[in-house]
Amino acid sequence: MSFEEFQNQSRLYVIGALEPEELEEFETARAKFGKKAEDFITECYGLHEAFALSLRPAKSSAAIKERLMSMVRARKEA
Amino acid sequence: MRAATLTTKKRARAGKPKAQQLSVSPPLEPGAPSDLDLMQAIQAQDPDALAQLYDRYNGILKALILRVVHNEAEADDLLQEIFMEIWNQAKNFSAQKGKPLGWMVTLARRRAIDGLRKKQAYARAEERLQSETEQQPDAWVHNATEEAIVLGDTRALMRKVIDGLPPAQQQAIDLAFFHGMSQREIAAKTNTPLGTVKTRLELGLKKIYDGLKELRDEL
Repeated sequence: MSFEEFQNQSRLYVIGALEPEELEEFETARAKFGKKAEDFITECYGLHEAFALSLRPAKSSAAIKERLMSMVRARKEA
Repeated sequence: MRAATLTTKKRARAGKPKAQQLSVSPPLEPGAPSDLDLMQAIQAQDPDALAQLYDRYNGILKALILRVVHNEAEADDLLQEIFMEIWNQAKNFSAQKGKPLGWMVTLARRRAIDGLRKKQAYARAEERLQSETEQQPDAWVHNATEEAIVLGDTRALMRKVIDGLPPAQQQAIDLAFFHGMSQREIAAKTNTPLGTVKTRLELGLKKIYDGLKELRDEL
């Protein structure tokens, strides 16, 4: 696999869209390209952020935050 | 470290990570703590920092969850669970591996897709998705042009990049990212050859990746 092919596969990998038979080949290439591969995969995870930021933010009730914070404070004190 | 002190603290420059995520983060109010400041405070068990992070991103994360589960009550439950997980798992966050928002989105997406499957609501959501898709073939893209005009913000920029894709590529990415579908599942759902699905995903993701890179370089 060339590095360009690895880049294409990496973008599929970070969104979980590689098929099982592709994963094995991907992991082999990942090991072959080493740090360069890891850096590129890290960069690709930015796609997650981009997809989330493309959505119109949704409202949630104040009760959720209150429940969350009381759980967090209780856990911290436990 | 208390969050009150964070608000007046200058943004920490924790050294440039060796590998940077492709990221275009939303702008912050002047003097507001960075996401990294808040994550570090959460790692130090500061609940106020979590409250600030919640205020900053609950809307984005809930939108993401809703896009996966299509159910308001389930989305609220998951949102709470995800922020609890952020609190519990904060120690596993590493700035070297990416930005806090990217980490939270990855966590939220995984949790939402797991939640969808665990609750065996997948079939119901698929029906709803099918119905939405029939009514609105490019449902991921709603009124993007209008939004781009009205909003001069990060979302409009993201949408501009995504909206530049052909609808078939958008649909393939939507099904993979927001519904956790494999290439085979997408092929079956859209009655499209597997090779075509792969090509659509590869081309679409590359265009988004390149678009975001350009955007990041411009900002």
